[in-house]
Amino acid sequence: MMNQIESDLVFLARIKMHTVKVPLIHRTMADPELDFTTGESGASATIPMQCSALRKNGYVVLKGRPCKIVEMSTSKTGKHGHAKVNMVGIDIFTNKKYEDMCPSTHNMDVPHIKRNEFQLLNINDGFMSLMADNGDVREDLRVPDSELGKEIEQRFAAQEDILVSVLSAMGEECAVAIKQMTGK
Amino acid sequence: MLLDSAAYSSIPDIAPPSMVSTEQRQHAEHTFLSFRKSKSPFAVCKHILETSKVDYVLFQAATAIMEAVVREWILLEKASIESLRTFLLTYVLQRPNLQKYVREQILLAVAVIVKRGSLDKSINCKGIFHEVSQLISSGNPTVQTLACSILTALISEFSSSSKTSNIGLNMEFHGSCKRIFQDDLCQIFVLTMEVLQEFSRRENLNAQMSSVFQRYLALANQAVFLMLMALTLGSLGRHYIAMFESTQNVMLKPTETWREALLDTRVMDLFFTVHRKIREDSDMAQDSLQCLAQLASMHGPIFPDESAQVSYLAHLVEGLLSMINGIEIEDSEAVGISNIISNLISTFPRAILTALPGELFTSFINCLTLLTCSFGRSAALEEVLDKDDMVYMEAYDKLLESWLTLVQDDEHFPRGCFVQPAIQVFNSYIQCHLAAPDGTRNLTANGVASHEEDEINELQEDDRELFSDQLASIGMLGRIAANHCIPLLTSLLEERVTRLHGQLQRTQQHLMNSSDPGSADRKVLDDLYEDIHWLILVSGYLLADDPQGETPLIPAEVMEYSINHSTEVDINTTLQILGSPGEKASSIPGCNRTDSVIRLLSAVLRTSEVESRATRASLTELLSPQMGKDIVWFLRRWAKTYLLVDEKLYGQISIPLSTAFGADTDGAQWIVGYLLEKVINNLSVWSSEPELANDTVELLVCLVEKRERANIVVQCENWWNLAKQFASRSPPLDLLSSSVQRTLMKALVLGGFAHMDSDTKLQYWTEVLHPLQQRFLNLINQENFPQICQEENVKREIVATLEALCGIAEATQIDNVSSLFSFLMDFLSSCIGLMEVYRNTPETVNLIIEVFVEVAHKQICYLGESKSMKLYEACLTLLQVYSKNNLGRKRADVAAEEDQYQDLLLIMELLTNLLSKEFIDFSDTDEVFRGQEPGSGATGRSVSAADVVLFGVNIILPLMSQDLLKFPSLCNQYYKLITFICEIFPEKIPQLPEELFKSLMYSLELGMTSMSSEVSQLCLEALSPLAEQCAKTQEKDTPLFMATRHFLKLVFDMLVLQKHNTEITVAAGEAFYTLVCLHQAEYQELVESLLATQRDAVVYQRLADAFNKLTASSTPPSMDRKQKVAFLKSLEEFVSSVGGLLCVK
Repeated sequence: MMNQIESDLVFLARIKMHTVKVPLIHRTMADPELDFTTGESGASATIPMQCSALRKNGYVVLKGRPCKIVEMSTSKTGKHGHAKVNMVGIDIFTNKKYEDMCPSTHNMDVPHIKRNEFQLLNINDGFMSLMADNGDVREDLRVPDSELGKEIEQRFAAQEDILVSVLSAMGEECAVAIKQMTGK
Repeated sequence: MLLDSAAYSSIPDIAPPSMVSTEQRQHAEHTFLSFRKSKSPFAVCKHILETSKVDYVLFQAATAIMEAVVREWILLEKASIESLRTFLLTYVLQRPNLQKYVREQILLAVAVIVKRGSLDKSINCKGIFHEVSQLISSGNPTVQTLACSILTALISEFSSSSKTSNIGLNMEFHGSCKRIFQDDLCQIFVLTMEVLQEFSRRENLNAQMSSVFQRYLALANQAVFLMLMALTLGSLGRHYIAMFESTQNVMLKPTETWREALLDTRVMDLFFTVHRKIREDSDMAQDSLQCLAQLASMHGPIFPDESAQVSYLAHLVEGLLSMINGIEIEDSEAVGISNIISNLISTFPRAILTALPGELFTSFINCLTLLTCSFGRSAALEEVLDKDDMVYMEAYDKLLESWLTLVQDDEHFPRGCFVQPAIQVFNSYIQCHLAAPDGTRNLTANGVASHEEDEINELQEDDRELFSDQLASIGMLGRIAANHCIPLLTSLLEERVTRLHGQLQRTQQHLMNSSDPGSADRKVLDDLYEDIHWLILVSGYLLADDPQGETPLIPAEVMEYSINHSTEVDINTTLQILGSPGEKASSIPGCNRTDSVIRLLSAVLRTSEVESRATRASLTELLSPQMGKDIVWFLRRWAKTYLLVDEKLYGQISIPLSTAFGADTDGAQWIVGYLLEKVINNLSVWSSEPELANDTVELLVCLVEKRERANIVVQCENWWNLAKQFASRSPPLDLLSSSVQRTLMKALVLGGFAHMDSDTKLQYWTEVLHPLQQRFLNLINQENFPQICQEENVKREIVATLEALCGIAEATQIDNVSSLFSFLMDFLSSCIGLMEVYRNTPETVNLIIEVFVEVAHKQICYLGESKSMKLYEACLTLLQVYSKNNLGRKRADVAAEEDQYQDLLLIMELLTNLLSKEFIDFSDTDEVFRGQEPGSGATGRSVSAADVVLFGVNIILPLMSQDLLKFPSLCNQYYKLITFICEIFPEKIPQLPEELFKSLMYSLELGMTSMSSEVSQLCLEALSPLAEQCAKTQEKDTPLFMATRHFLKLVFDMLVLQKHNTEITVAAGEAFYTLVCLHQAEYQELVESLLATQRDAVVYQRLADAFNKLTASSTPPSMDRKQKVAFLKSLEEFVSSVGGLLCVK
């Protein structure tokens, strides 16, 4: 049994590795013409999970958006009713708040969340040139239109070496954090 | 000036906001304020009072007089004060139509004059009382009202410290006025009694008269009795008095001087008479009942001997009975009456109660029984109607509490005297909680059933907690009348379970024939569930006590009941009924000859069985999770008390109980197996019900946390299945919430320490813990782990492992710590690697820190030196990695602040846990030496707790902002931590980097001055060790030395100039003394500069004396324990003698 699970993991890992190598399919709002969204990308973007197994600080899809769960509580109708889960989530890309309630036996979609760190090499026409740990370079991500984006530009202009954390979920991507590079 | 002020003054009073500008209004206010401060305004004020028609101006004039009299007291002639007072009184008397607030203010001025005068004996209170009694005897209601207002003003001015006017005198003055007033109080009481007496004799009262009556009654209640208590408590500190004044229910403990006034039976009779007369008026009834409740709580030196107490009580009970009997109690009377009874029962000693004439006592108990049942029914009605103000519920609670007090030491009373009452109260409780036809639940007064489904959120307490007091009383009464109550509960429950079974079957049929699952009628089911819910709760409270502490014992009454009937019991049939929860109890031959205690458990097991079978028939949708909770709650409570009953703990043991549940019995084995099966079934079908799953897993923990029970558990095949299933992380167990999964892991680990032969044990661990380790290692050792670590499956596996580690740590006990520690230690080092890999993933980082927190929390106190060292090192590395990864990181996502807050809280918790080793240490001393080179001593340590903690503080401090300190939990944890550090490693403080040192000192100051009193106390506790550290090194002009000097000033101000509460005085005193030792010269300067500001020579002298006395016993102050204790004692005196002097109110 054990072996089977392990081989599952390895297998799954391989599949994912494969998808990573393919140019990322994404849907950055700033960049509509690069929208290659196809039906299949959504299929593996989430997995179903019973409501009761969700946790605060975890993630869930609310109204079709990937959200971080910031509040979770249960309630019931009548003393002998069954539990319902009430959730408040915040869209991890837009910061919009969503609420939802459903019977706790129901399944909800949990988005696959990835966080990757890249070294910032260049900024060209509003696009960042980012290098992954393995040396792969991508140039398809815009500098975010936010305070953080301004800071990225400033720091780059000041010739600082910085790492950019990129959050991706459900085919969407965004830079969410930066960090001074320390001599590794 | 007069016209001016009158003109302006009319502005706030009369002119609407639209007509006056803000400046005009401010100007008017300013005019009033300066008017009140003007010198000798008496003539002007008198003139205003006589001529002005504007109420607000009159009010201001009265205020001005009041303030000026006190301010200029020593300059005024006695005679002019007297004439001023007479003027004010006459003024009010002649103007019956004054606005109420103006009249009250003028009378307050009179009261303040009297009060100030009483201090230097320039005004004789007797004179005032004479005038007042003349006013009272005038027979004119208006005048009598005025007299009442005068008395009320006097009392509120003299009695309570919180209601005292702000007249710029120190607290000490207010205190001494209060003591002087004590004799006069008796006079007021007598006067009030006379008025009440007179009114109670009148046949018909008109509206005006009854309003006067009401005022006097209120006066009698609120003023006289409250004041009486304040005086009784007069010797206590200010703080306590304010506390007592805030509670209405203080027991009356008057001094001997009150004997004549209060023991007079006419006083009590008067209040009964008065109440009878006015009971329909809910406001007045409240006052008269409150008076009676006070009388019912009378105790102490006022009674010359026991017989006086007995006859007082007899008179009270007679009065009470004749008051209650023959009337229909008004809603507004319920709480008052229950207060009288509850005061009476809790105040008078058992010996006095039993000394009452037998018949009277019986009538009292009968009356109490009827009253309890009736209030219970009314309380149930209140619930149906969903009333906001639950007066009957409150009254019912009070009476049930009184029953508990009564029956708890029932050996003082005639044997069996409470059985019949207990049966009645018990029956009525059950009746109120069962649905029709057996009961009256949800029936309104006219018999209409109401059925509402409210939305209930998770914050609402479960009935078993919400009504725990009621249930405890009912359970206790049920034990008193076990003969009746246990069989009653059994038959009611058995009958309902049979009905539930039938109803579920019918519903299933219905569902099979109908396409719409929503069409099933839940009403019948819900009624049954609610019945069963209450029956199980009552049974649980009856059979066993709260299982929180150590092994709870079988209640003596229950044991006795089982023993008394054991001769009529057929043990085999009993066991048969117990062992066949799937069958109807009544269908088993000889079912009438069973042990009732076991039979009641069997009834709950039958409920459980119906539930389990319904889940197997896929009827889970129809079941009640609440009932599921009730069942496992009951079973846990029951198992802690009855399972493997230890005969050594009891003088006498029931044969049926020991045969069924004793150690090495088939019964015990069977029931453990049954409970285990229940747990497994619940965990798989109820994963979606977090509370039920939690109660279930707690039942499992209960089964394995005691070695004896665990030994049986691990022999069950089911247990092994559960362990394997959980280790495989497959459904349904992986659907459980994370907290339930943790507890389940804890239970599985605890079970592993049960008695097994070594092969079995090895096998067990191979199946439970080993897979966890293997899977984890296989995963993280994969070459491409850094690449796949963000994959969802990988993340889930990691999270599950971390959760399991927390659960394992939770299972730590003293006898398993060594094996669990080595197991967990391997993981901790890998976790640090994870921290690096997941540096971008806040939720994982958070969970990793939590694992460390749990391990430190549960294990550090048991670890010897070498093991502690390993843990310290691991924690230090963790913090270093955390710090490296977060330094210079800037996050812009929405959860950034919340994540950081949680990380900080956890890190502080971790550091506090590590420090706790210095306080609580159960480690085996042998181990300390074993792992160490001889002679290396403490210097051999590679890492000390101090290093880890200070490093951690270094990480935390720059991140702690004042905004973050607004989170109470974070704030408390933070201050707990820095206080610990100062106490444990004072020598490390001066070595801190400058910035860190500064922010630490600033934190202390902030905590001392502007946080909660708890935090302030913590900070004060941190000061002594710091000052001692300075004294030790003898170095002056170090930053720490300077800082302590600053703290001396802060603590000095705190102790001498500010109001503070008693808890803080002790902590402040200790800190103060060490600081004074360190900075004697600065202390002298502080004292002198304080004295220099005193202009009053008397005050100056007293302060100077007090300061001298304070340090007399410890000159020169030195850090000597004996001197310190002496100083603290004088400080207490100092605070009480001068504290009030400088604190102006």
